[in-house]
Formats: sequence, C-alpha cells, structure tokens
Amino acid sequence: MIKMSIWGDRGSIPCPGPDTVEYGGNTSCLELRFGDRLVVVDAGSGIRQLGDHIMKTDIKRGPLDIDIFLTHTHWDHIMGFPMFTPIYVPGTKLRVHGPVTYEEDTLDKIIGNQLSYRYWPVRQSELAAKIEYDQMKEATLDMGNGLVLKTKYLNHPILCLGYRFEFEGKSVVTIYDHEPFRNVFPTDPADPDYDADAALEGETAAREENEKILRFMAGADLVVHDTQYTAKEYNLNKIGWGHSSFEYAINAAHKAKVKKLLMFHHDINRTDAELTELERKYRADIGGKTSLEIQMAKEGSTHEL
Amino acid sequence: MSSANNLEKINAYIGRMPSLPVTVTKVLEICNNPKTSPTDLNRIISLDPVLMGRVLKLINSAYYGLGQQVTSLVRAIIMLGINTVKNLALSTAVVDNLSDRAAFQAINMDGFWRHSLCVGVTSRMVAKKRGVDQRSVEEYFAAGLLHDLGKIPMNNVLSKEYVLAMSMADRERLPLYFAEKREIDTDHSEVGTIIAQSWKLDRAIVDTVNAHHAYLEYDGPYKDILYTVVLANYFANIQEIGFSGDRYPERIDPSVYQFLGLTRDIFEEIESGVTAEIENARIFLKTN
Ligand SMILES: [Fe+2]
Ligand SMILES: [Zn+2]
Ligand SMILES: [Zn+2]
Repeated sequence: MIKMSIWGDRGSIPCPGPDTVEYGGNTSCLELRFGDRLVVVDAGSGIRQLGDHIMKTDIKRGPLDIDIFLTHTHWDHIMGFPMFTPIYVPGTKLRVHGPVTYEEDTLDKIIGNQLSYRYWPVRQSELAAKIEYDQMKEATLDMGNGLVLKTKYLNHPILCLGYRFEFEGKSVVTIYDHEPFRNVFPTDPADPDYDADAALEGETAAREENEKILRFMAGADLVVHDTQYTAKEYNLNKIGWGHSSFEYAINAAHKAKVKKLLMFHHDINRTDAELTELERKYRADIGGKTSLEIQMAKEGSTHEL
Repeated sequence: MSSANNLEKINAYIGRMPSLPVTVTKVLEICNNPKTSPTDLNRIISLDPVLMGRVLKLINSAYYGLGQQVTSLVRAIIMLGINTVKNLALSTAVVDNLSDRAAFQAINMDGFWRHSLCVGVTSRMVAKKRGVDQRSVEEYFAAGLLHDLGKIPMNNVLSKEYVLAMSMADRERLPLYFAEKREIDTDHSEVGTIIAQSWKLDRAIVDTVNAHHAYLEYDGPYKDILYTVVLANYFANIQEIGFSGDRYPERIDPSVYQFLGLTRDIFEEIESGVTAEIENARIFLKTN
C-alpha cells in the first residue's frame, strides 16, 4: 500500500492566519509510506511537524532511515530542513536527493549552508544524523523492495524534478513547481524579433516537451500538480513564473488518464473560502466529461492507494 | 616541458573557459537586461563557440544518460529557461586582460572568432543548399562553429609553444595541426576532443572536432556533417575570412566534393551570403 500525507501545500512562504486554517499555511512537504519505507518529498516549512510526528512514531522501531527528495532548491522547498528534528538524532540515516542547476553549486552547500552560524545556531557539521547528498538528474532508479522511482525535468526558472513512485502496481507522481513549456520565440513574422528557424524549432520543442510530461504522469493513480493560478490569473500576468493553472493541470491529467489529481502549491493569497469554491467550480465544470477525480490539496490530509 | 604537464594546464583552463573577447560586451549588455528577448539571447550565444558549447554542456549534463542529447540552442533555451541560460552566459563573460597578452599570442582572437563563425555559417548554408532536413541544419552550424575549439586553450595557456608551432608552420609551409603535433606533442583536434567530451557535446560535434583534419580515415555515422565542415573550413581558409592560424592549409581531397555531390562552384554560390551574415553579426556585436 502507498500512503501519502500532506504536511504543507503552499507556495512561496508560510502564510498562517485565519484564512488558511482549512487548507493550511505551510510550504510544501509530502510524507510517503511504501510499506515501512519512509520517503519525504520537499523540506518546506511543513517538514517541522512531520519531524515531530516521526519522533513520536517511527523512532520506537529503531534508528531512522529516511530519503528526502527535493523537487528543486527554491527556498520555500528547503526552508524547513533546519527544523526537521531527525537531523539532530544520533543514528539517523538521511539521504537528501535533488537537482542542482549549476554543477559548481552542490546540493550539500545549497541545503547545508542554511545551517551556518549566520542563519542558525547549529552548524551542519554539528548535526548528529548521518546525512548523504545525492545530486539527481532525469533517471529511473530501483530503490529496492519493489519501489521504483522515475524522475523528469519540469519547466521552472531553475532545474526542477517531477517524481514518479511506483510500488505494488500503484503510482504517485509529483508535478510541481511546473509551468507548461512554451515557445518563447515570436511566431509572428511582423515581430521585429522574428526568426523563422527559431519560431519553428521553438514550437516543436515546446510541444514535444509537454508531451513528455503527459507521458510521465500517464495512468498514474495520484498526481500532485502545481495549480498556483487560475487560467485567468496566469494569462493576465503570470506567464513565465514557473507555475501552472488549474485549467492546464486538469486538462493534462485528463489527457494522461490520471485517476486522481491533487491541486497543489496554493497561492499564499488564496483563502480557504476561495479554494473550496474553486474546487466546487472545477468539479462542476468537468462533471460527466471525465473519469478524473480532482481535489484541492489540504494540509493534514492522508491519501491511501 | 612534458606533454602531461601541458595537458594538465589545458584541463584546468577548460573548467573555467571564458567566452571570446569579441562577444563579451554584447553578452554583458544582453544578459544584464532583465527584459532581454529570447531572440537576442539565442543570437549572441550562437555567435560564440565557447558560450554555445557551455550552454549545450549545461543541458546535456542535466539530461545526460537518457540518450536524448540536445543540439539545438532554441530547444535548450526553452528547456532550461531564459534566466538559467542568461546566468550561465554571464558567468562565462569574463573581461579578460587579453589586450596586454594578445601581443604574445599566435592567433588573434578576433580573427579566430571570424573564422569559427564563417565555418559555422558556411556549413549551415551548404547543408540548406543540399536539402538537409531542417531539424539537423543547426547541428551543422554548431559543428562548424565549434570545430577549432581546441585552439583556444592552446593559444591562451600554451601561448609560447603555440607561437613556435605557428612560426614552424609558416617557415616550413605546413598545415598548422602538423606543426602543433611536432612542437607541442598534441594538436587542436585532440585538445578540442577533450573539451567536447568533457562538455558532453553530442557525437556529431565530437567527431567533427576530432576528425576535421583526418576525415579520410573517418568511418563513423556523421560523415555528412564532418565533410560539410571540412569543406566549409577550406572555404574560410582560401577566402581568408577570419584567420585561425593556417597559412598553408591542406587542399581538400576530391572525395569531399564527390561525397557531398558538389563542385567548387558552390563557393561562388554562397560567398556573398556568408559574408553578409558575418557582417550582420559584426554589426550586432558592435551596436547597442
Ligand atoms: Fe578551422
Ligand atoms: Zn515553490
Ligand atoms: Zn519554485
């Protein structure tokens, strides 16, 4: 069985307050259980409470052994790391995996430097846990005990990986932070920047890369997808910011024959009432037209496959 | 000096190879502009063999291992994002104090730039004339632009030895790669291959860099690209468009024309187009 719990579902920065009680205000963090194996996706502010939970439950069964997969190193996805209690527990084995954009910026520096005296009272070298860093690229990895991981680059201002976990015939996929690929080269011959070759190549490249993303999530039981904006907001002034619209994600998941879509990476200004209303509206829009099930991601919720 | 020592120096240089001095000003101008158009970014990168190579390296080292090497700069910009590419370009645009070192260098970098661009542009034009599939045309350009990559570290790191190699070539009327081998015990094809491999460039480019002076022995799958670049290189040398050190280049084997299905008339057909394109590039680099 795969069990996934959401400990954080916001983008950008934690946003506690009366308007974010129901869906939560922590930045992204997912807990995944594959049998007794513990995998965490992202170390946003939500990872603090996940750490406390692990200290109450898993620690009883012996030393902790955890894989953290970072989708990318934007701050909202790594900021909770210094507050993840297991890193202070002797005997903990932690493997931190994630992509880096420039090879000279290594993952251990990007993540570990948050634990330096200028930011934090404890230094990385003083941590009790044994931490290994693993720079990830696009790959298929056999993680043992029947768990297979596939990774795919997404479209975001820095390199960002989508993860597809397959276990006992079920699959969970993360597609965030992600914006559909688009041709950034002008296609209108009247545009002073028009270049016929670039326009053509750009169209093909964007289409092919988007098809690859669809194939990556094809047939998945559960997809956690970036839906920071509505299509209206996106088209108004958010193109190129690295996030998707609800409309895009729903369409993509439908085309890829996904069973269930969790709409994720909520905008910090989106209130509980708005999220509930958007969920209702999109469900009504697609009602009877698809077998796809859609749901707004909610902090504290658990999903079993 | 031992050749192991030379190779070590070259390897150290490859890791931090700056873009060419000719393009630096324009790279800085374009990449420091928050509103840069992708078209300008694409253009400036494709005018500099080092920049081009390093952007392809970035995309291919990320995607390496999946057998889907990217050779198109347009695709790389779409996949990596404009800002990532801009950042990379900025980090390679080092204002080097080449001006006071230039006097001791064998090859003037401005002439080298013009030669490289000419071979790239000519390769693309010949490919188009021969009806090569639109999707591969950019690969012809890239292979041409990068074919002499190995000369950059030799010229900049082993300047003294390289001056000697060049004067030997002049004195004895030898092709430059010949003299390089004698004087430095390696040549720009070998050095270029090391760079192209460490940058994980696709095999068509690696093979072209490696075999553009030993093309008759080549039996790999990229003969069409290799022979086109060989022809373009010859064209650049005899027309003296730019200068990359070869005052006595070898005549090319008739089999090159035969294989490509061309005659020498092709040179006349493309000459004005090539010169115009290079002139446009020069204007682009000088204006702001
Ligand atoms: Fe050449
Ligand atoms: Zn984010
Ligand atoms: Zn992000």
